Amino acid sequence: MRKKRFAYPAVKLLLMILLFISVICPLGMVVATIQVEDIKELIEAGQLGRMLRHSVIVTSIATMISITLALLLAWCINRSRMRWKGVFSVLFTIPMLIPSISHGMGLVILLGDNGILSNWLGIKIPLYGYLGMIMGSVLYSFPVAFLMLTDIFQYEDYTAYEAARVLGLSKAKQFWTITIPNIKKTLISTIFAVFTLIFTDYGVPLVIGGKIVTLPLYMYREVVGQMNVSKGAVIGILLLLPAVVAFALDLKQEETTNSSTITKQYVVLKNKRRDRFAYLFCIVTVIIISLPVLAFLYLSIVKQYPIDNRLSLNHIREAFQLGVGRYLKNSLAIALTTSFIGTAAAYGIAFLTARSKRTWTAQALHLISMVSLAIPGIVLGLAYVLFFRGSWIYGTLMMLVLVNMVHFFASPYLLAYNSLSKFNRNLEDVAATLGICPWHMLKDVYLKCTQKTMLEMFSYIFVNAMVTISAVSFLADFRTMPLSLLIPQFDSQSLIESTAFISIIILTVNGLVKLAVFFLKRTVPDVTT
Amino acid sequence: MEVLKSGSELTSSRFGNGLSEIKLEVSHIQKQFDGEEVLKDISFQVRKGEFLAILGLSGCGKTTLLRILIGLEHQDSGSIKKDGKEISKLAPNERGMGIIFQNYALFPNMTVLENVAYALKLKKETKASAKKIALHTLEQIGMSEHLNKKPRQLSGGQQQRVAIARTLAMNPDIVLLDEPISALDVTNREIMKQELKAIQKKFHSTMIFITHEQEEAFYLADRIMVMSEGRMEQLDTPENIFKNPANSFVKDFVVAHLEQKYQSLLKCTGRIS
Repeated sequence: MRKKRFAYPAVKLLLMILLFISVICPLGMVVATIQVEDIKELIEAGQLGRMLRHSVIVTSIATMISITLALLLAWCINRSRMRWKGVFSVLFTIPMLIPSISHGMGLVILLGDNGILSNWLGIKIPLYGYLGMIMGSVLYSFPVAFLMLTDIFQYEDYTAYEAARVLGLSKAKQFWTITIPNIKKTLISTIFAVFTLIFTDYGVPLVIGGKIVTLPLYMYREVVGQMNVSKGAVIGILLLLPAVVAFALDLKQEETTNSSTITKQYVVLKNKRRDRFAYLFCIVTVIIISLPVLAFLYLSIVKQYPIDNRLSLNHIREAFQLGVGRYLKNSLAIALTTSFIGTAAAYGIAFLTARSKRTWTAQALHLISMVSLAIPGIVLGLAYVLFFRGSWIYGTLMMLVLVNMVHFFASPYLLAYNSLSKFNRNLEDVAATLGICPWHMLKDVYLKCTQKTMLEMFSYIFVNAMVTISAVSFLADFRTMPLSLLIPQFDSQSLIESTAFISIIILTVNGLVKLAVFFLKRTVPDVTT
Repeated sequence: MEVLKSGSELTSSRFGNGLSEIKLEVSHIQKQFDGEEVLKDISFQVRKGEFLAILGLSGCGKTTLLRILIGLEHQDSGSIKKDGKEISKLAPNERGMGIIFQNYALFPNMTVLENVAYALKLKKETKASAKKIALHTLEQIGMSEHLNKKPRQLSGGQQQRVAIARTLAMNPDIVLLDEPISALDVTNREIMKQELKAIQKKFHSTMIFITHEQEEAFYLADRIMVMSEGRMEQLDTPENIFKNPANSFVKDFVVAHLEQKYQSLLKCTGRIS
């Protein structure tokens, strides 16, 4: 009897349907909810245009600063001979371990009307509004840009630079004619990713926006405050646009990118002045990053800043009385469940799409697995409210697990897909002729070879589930609420010290997980060839 | 004429002595991919213990033919009989064939010994007997010193040997080789060529070997099948192909190529003027 080759069309189709129900259908509901009167009203009142202008101004400026900063930092790490490069690279990503709203809070605590730095230096800056929003957005987004860009610097071919040196081209000329073309594609992706990230975030504007209302902030207020979902849906569609453009661009790039081979690793020549500059720049950045963290810590453990600066555990005690412990439990439950199920699901699907026969079902599954990249969390959250309202899962922790899983699916999926694609393409053929079934290949070869990737996937989902305030914001109620959502709630009650303490808790949990993953990764092999 | 004689010396034909039993009979194989015909009515027979080379440029359909023989692809029409029995409907692992790929495709996380023993263990051999067979095969192939190394610690030639041992340990009737030495460097190629010959003698296996290099085919094969654009152009002993190329393609691709390549060499030795 002829056995089916490893293709599993039925499994793929089933998975596709599941992903369709959890991604496409809810989004369809958002579109269906839109009412023409709402659009008319928003446009006629001039509200929509105004908010769009605010959003575009903040996002464009913050994106430019964020990208420039990230480029400079990536350059310092990869193109200098300074010390502590590894440590710096880790420290630069610390802002990713706290919610976006914490960055806003941090600025308020440092530079607000009664801020620590404002009082200490005796300055008063117009923080609330554009300035604060741009600063907060930069802090929140530059680590993402840094991670994307440092990778591309690392894998640049040196031969072109050698040739340029022989020809006597200036450094500036080298940068514009070699470096920029080399990193162009990644740079564009990064710009879009950062733009989308800032464009769709309501956390920073919520605490520091003052009178300036951006699109996601308006959407958040309409849906959470007024329960006006149809107006929220209008904004949701607008927020979807840049992400969809970015997604389409990435897809196109994936098609055209052929992995170029590096003939020679980049050689960093000796240059003391450059190294000193890089070192200084990195130190200053680390100081700026750590200031809010130190401020959170300080605020949590003094009695009443700035009136009474004696050490006290009052705020911590108060925070626990307000239920921080319970919400931390929620957060951990959601983050752990999401990362276990999410890692398994993303890995399983990547195994099907990367290692089985390339049928149209495999390609469709691959595409739909990446779609979540194009959906801002806040839009996904609204979509889930509309789609799942009234069903048994609505209002449970599982609802939050599901929405996070979908929200953070694409990146870990791509990690697994890329990792699994690197294996010899004939392995399945060999297995088929030797009578080794796909299940055994998965268990005895792939899972054993890619433990590093799996740890990476796990920690990505965990950290993001801990810090997210977007997709979960409309779906959580007082029983299921994760810790991160307590920040906007406490902020609205002016419980600043408690929000600071929550940021510290989230940072600590994520830091510990990252640390654990770091050490675990050193104990497991990662072999593909 | 001197050239011709030298050419046939190069091949040292061994075909024809006691190789009568037909092992594999392929009839009228056709295959299309997306409406394009990649195999056009291919028929041939392979005798037991024979070393058959399939020679052709890349894209001529030779790899597809090999994949169809072992069941990794399926022909649109035509039959494949092994020992007189139709095997087209069997799964790749039920056909009693083994395949060796150009890029080795070893299991990267397993040692040399584990690579060879793994499939045997799954085949419901006891652990002890799987290990015994694996050890024996590796010894015969000259890899006993490297049992506990991982693939990445081995050279290309050594990895290829492990891949061969892994296939031979399953005791296949027919071994298929998909350009097995193309990925090696020049020195290792020569060594591997000789070893393949030795291995075939040692294991008495029937081998079908794909290559795009004329010299490889002439050196190794009892018979050569020349393919182009999905068609079988000629199937004969190296000597006969050299003496009587069936058409202008074979003449250009095989005879002219070899003549040109060895002309300078022969000139140096003064064997032609």
